[in-house]
Amino acid sequence: MLKNYLITAWKVFLRRKLFTFINLFGICITLTVMVVVTRVIDNHLHPIGPEKTSKNFILVSKLLITNEDHSHVSSSSPGFKFIHDYVLPLSTPELITAFTRESLVPFFIQGKKINHYMRRVDANYWKVLDFEFVAGSPFNQADFDVGKFVAVINQQTAKKLFFKTNAVGQSIIFQNQKFEVIGVVKNVTRTELEAYSDIWVPYTTWPKTSYRQQMMGNFRALLYHSNTDRLKDAQLEFIDRVKNEFVAVDQNQTIAFSNADNKLEELARDIFGEERSYDSYVQTLIIMISLASVLFMLLPSINMVNLNISRIMERSSEIGIRKAFGASTKQLVWQFVVENIVLTLIGGLVAFILSELLLSFIESSGLIPFVEFKFNLRILLSSLFIILIFALVSGVYPAFKMARMDPVIALKGGM
Amino acid sequence: MLHLTNIKKTYQTDKIETTALSNINLSIDKGEFISVMGPSGCGKSTLLNIIGLLDQPTQGQIEVAGQQITSYKDKDITKIRNEKIGFIFQSFHLIPDLRVIDNVELPLLYRKVSSKVRRQMALDALDKVGLSARTMHYPNQLSGGQQQRVAVARAIVGEPSLLLADEPTGNLDSHMGDEIMNILESLHKKHGTTIVMVTHDEAMANRTQRIVRVFDGQLVD
Repeated sequence: MLKNYLITAWKVFLRRKLFTFINLFGICITLTVMVVVTRVIDNHLHPIGPEKTSKNFILVSKLLITNEDHSHVSSSSPGFKFIHDYVLPLSTPELITAFTRESLVPFFIQGKKINHYMRRVDANYWKVLDFEFVAGSPFNQADFDVGKFVAVINQQTAKKLFFKTNAVGQSIIFQNQKFEVIGVVKNVTRTELEAYSDIWVPYTTWPKTSYRQQMMGNFRALLYHSNTDRLKDAQLEFIDRVKNEFVAVDQNQTIAFSNADNKLEELARDIFGEERSYDSYVQTLIIMISLASVLFMLLPSINMVNLNISRIMERSSEIGIRKAFGASTKQLVWQFVVENIVLTLIGGLVAFILSELLLSFIESSGLIPFVEFKFNLRILLSSLFIILIFALVSGVYPAFKMARMDPVIALKGGM
Repeated sequence: MLHLTNIKKTYQTDKIETTALSNINLSIDKGEFISVMGPSGCGKSTLLNIIGLLDQPTQGQIEVAGQQITSYKDKDITKIRNEKIGFIFQSFHLIPDLRVIDNVELPLLYRKVSSKVRRQMALDALDKVGLSARTMHYPNQLSGGQQQRVAVARAIVGEPSLLLADEPTGNLDSHMGDEIMNILESLHKKHGTTIVMVTHDEAMANRTQRIVRVFDGQLVD
């Protein structure tokens, strides 16, 4: 019976080329956008580069300082003093790394100015994040403690500055400081926000020491624990410390708010969060994403419902014939749903190919530097599930409506 | 074989009630070949649709092959239609997207007959109507007469005890109409199939065993 349904479906698709095209176009665009967006978000939430350890760390990246009546509010990334006083002393994490955000530094190659991203980090940074070294090694605690002028650079920088990927032993000069390259790492994608950079140097080499007194600044910290269950404890310890042990800087800066979030919590807080809150916004994010996805799929689904009704309406005579020869309502519903599933699966396949092409274009275009989208079975299966939901949503109602048609009316052409 | 008792059929459109059939009492014996005649709009096709369980009477009782139908659920009616009744329509009503063989297999498809047996039964039915050489053709590749022969093959493939033909020769020229009539006569004689045929054609009707005349929704002598 399925073969008969499939033959009929194929013939109908070929016979109604415009309808098939419009339907496929709608399915393709919807699914391609969904797959690409999902893959980009997934790439951020489940990194494959140095941040692949992300399930074992939480991030401190924001600080808000205010006074009792909130008349004075300062909000930015924390400065080194905050990290030093309230993060580094935490006892729950196995490792804590403090580092700056990436900033652009200029290089002059053959008289031409080229900007590179530079990040100042500590020695634990290389233990918390899993960088892939193609040459050399990272600096150690001793190098860091004495403020040794050493640097780790990425492959692209090595290629640009030294025209080769192994640049260990070479020197680089920026901001009037000369660093010896001791390691070269694989390029890190832009979606790995805490790892992304071109150059990493110890923050103890900072030309001035004033950063050590700054409560607000451009520092961040990762709290690492090999046991993911302990991260919650680390989070609570940090919040408790900020809430209860924060020492007023002056009369306008008496209360601090800061969170230690995992990647999903961080994303949710960025979108929906209130900086003066310790609540998690993950649930809100998931609800909003689900709602947006449903709405995004609903519009083409409604369109497909209409197209399907008119397509099936044209075949009312066939419905009449099938009913006359013993097709039950259930069998007819199944037939039209199968047709819709076949069409949607074809659309899904085309969308999958299109999204792969689009993702490989994003990879090669440099739109998101060094991004790499690895094949992801979880997303493929989720997409397949979405496709089937799409097919059912847009197919069942028209199929049910038409399959219940009076056979005499159907045989007359549904008029 | 078939008993219609006090059948009435009315259609309600807005506030107007139209009576299509009234006070129909008709018995058809097993193996009988009868024709239903009458002017256009007199209710012949409605009568055939009710006999074929495609339409439900507003009032009255139907008994097909000893089974009272009136109280049956849609699912049961569908099963009876599939197993006991075959239809031939004036405009053939073949599915254009399916090959001849697949069209003929259609009633068996819903009977869940295995594909191998289905194929053999369809080939046998096509052989009976002389279309063994056209199994892989599509309906639009056949003449009107050939299409109607495919429709006959489809109607008889499940070996129904009752064959209903709604003006089966109405869209054909006299030669092709004659061919179809010969096939129906042969089915009746060789297999004892009960046939009810609606026709306008007096000559065709005269070839059946009994003529039932309908006028203004009622049977007339």
